[in-house]
Amino acid sequence: MPEEEKISYYLKKSKTLENNFEKKIHISILSSFTLNGIEEIFQVKCNEKNISCKTHLGNYNQYNQEILDPNSDLYKSKSDLTFLILDTQNILEDLWYFPYSINDKQRENFIERKFNEIKNLISIFLKNSNSKLILSNFFIPTSSPYGIVESKSNFGLQKMILKLNDSLQNYIQNLDSVYLFDMNGFISKYGENNVFDPKQYLFGDIKISLDYIPYLVNNLMGYVIAILGISKRCIVLDLDNTLWGGIVGEDGFDGIKLGSDPSGKAFVEFQKYLLALQSRGILLAINSKNNFDDAIKVIEEHPDMVLKKEHFASIKINWNDKVSNIKEISNELNFGLDNFVFIDDDPLNREFMKSSLPEVLTIDLPKDPSKYVRIIQEINEFNLLKITDEDKQRGIMYSQQRERKTLEDSSNNLEDFLKNMDLKITIKKADSFTIPRISQLILKTNQFNLTTKRYSFEEIQTMSTDPNFLMGCVQVEDKFGDNGITAAFIVEKNNSKEWVIDTFLLSCRVMGRQIEKSILSYIIKIAKENNVPKIFTNFIPTKKNQPIENFLPDCGFKKEKDYWFISLIDSFKGPDFIKIEEK
Amino acid sequence: MSEKLYGIIAKVMDISISEINDDSSPETIPSWDSFNSYILLDELESQFQTEFTIDEVTETKNVSDIKKHLKIHGINLDD
Repeated sequence: MPEEEKISYYLKKSKTLENNFEKKIHISILSSFTLNGIEEIFQVKCNEKNISCKTHLGNYNQYNQEILDPNSDLYKSKSDLTFLILDTQNILEDLWYFPYSINDKQRENFIERKFNEIKNLISIFLKNSNSKLILSNFFIPTSSPYGIVESKSNFGLQKMILKLNDSLQNYIQNLDSVYLFDMNGFISKYGENNVFDPKQYLFGDIKISLDYIPYLVNNLMGYVIAILGISKRCIVLDLDNTLWGGIVGEDGFDGIKLGSDPSGKAFVEFQKYLLALQSRGILLAINSKNNFDDAIKVIEEHPDMVLKKEHFASIKINWNDKVSNIKEISNELNFGLDNFVFIDDDPLNREFMKSSLPEVLTIDLPKDPSKYVRIIQEINEFNLLKITDEDKQRGIMYSQQRERKTLEDSSNNLEDFLKNMDLKITIKKADSFTIPRISQLILKTNQFNLTTKRYSFEEIQTMSTDPNFLMGCVQVEDKFGDNGITAAFIVEKNNSKEWVIDTFLLSCRVMGRQIEKSILSYIIKIAKENNVPKIFTNFIPTKKNQPIENFLPDCGFKKEKDYWFISLIDSFKGPDFIKIEEK
Repeated sequence: MSEKLYGIIAKVMDISISEINDDSSPETIPSWDSFNSYILLDELESQFQTEFTIDEVTETKNVSDIKKHLKIHGINLDD
């Protein structure tokens, strides 16, 4: 674990800080015990990340008064982020030492009461402040007067705190601006016997010892990063001695360390952790000075490679310098250099990166690969306030985009490119599985949207069961993967005389592949089967839907007054290279 | 000489070494408040790699007391 400075370092350093950064944050800290010094540590750590930080530390054990009084300094400080850090001994009062002086039922009632008190504080806080509130959970006592039979008690000392923590966690699930900090996890990680110093406690009611307050702030900085939206989005990795041991150009495919022996296993573990980050939305990229063929062979063929080609959003294996490569990656992925973390075993490369591009977070990798996982676990700059399904899919979609781009670059023209894509669309009915996605598309699609009619979820549900409407959605697949449901349509049948396309849209993710023509050909086919003579529709221009402007004339629709129509005696054929399936 | 000790005190109390003598105490140095005395204790224990008992800490009223206890712990300030 990275060594921390002593608290005296922060106290001194805090006197010489710059406070004119663009990014600013106000932090309040309320606590049931002495946490002096925490303000200065926050200020210094924010400064290191180019954040100006103002702090307010509540008076010793006055958190109740500060929260209850609408005119308190807490509310006057207009914080963005408020930490409420309470300790178990304080909350348990006498029961900390004498938990068994009352019975199970009374202990349950006690915890229920404490939970309600905290709940009440939270709701009063939320009424009076716009700040995010970070409440710490409670440390679960490790020693009990009952000793080894503690775990035999029905609602004993440990169970009390477990229950309180659990209730709090459930309670904050649906509160958007309240988060629970895992103080119990923090103390377990660093060790109760280190974090709690009885002498400091007796002298000054210091319950997190002075040496560990900097570590605590390190952990709490994750919230600062998330709230300011400055989380890192991509890890750029070296290969030799970073993702595997040894140098593939010298040691050869069979000579590198990956898997089997303990040192090879270290790299496998490291790769697994990176993969876990990738699957929650952190992109991975390669930046390696290497012979492309040697290195890519390991990635594609080595049996112990956990990370495969498809896990990387960008791959730069060449003899260019690493700074130029990372700049290219930044252009390719279309986000700024301050979104990147750079991991390389070579101190020289790291120095070069740090001095050329200080905005990139360069990690000092230890020499020993067994420590790689821990180093990356300590990085708290990947924190987000919410993780969505889209985040989880991001890695896959970016790497597919990379593959598509490679194919597009190597194709002579667009048609060749599309023909090589193995495009397939699957028309799906509107049902309970697809309606949530149809609704999302109808509410969100702006560009390739013919009429931009926004319907509520309930309206869509009603239309989906009305025989007068033909509603569907389209899943788009190509040889690089599944793009998911990315198009939708609604046709009003008007008793089969003349159909009207009410809604027709395509997500921008699949634009430019003539998918729309295939979908139209499908609607026309169904209309013909129903002996419909004509299909009408309307193009409603908006500020954003230029991409669909020429769609109707391109497909043979003719304009009549305010609307467009196509006569079904004329034949319309979709592109040959797109396969259509129905489900 | 007691340079190392004075250096630590000066750093924690944010004063210059020349302001420190055997009689220095919370009474004579304004920045020597209770919180800084915990920090001083923490710094002394880690820099001299020793641990004081709670009684020793309670008895310590000024710099010469600190020296006395360091000596009991086998730390020779004249090295």
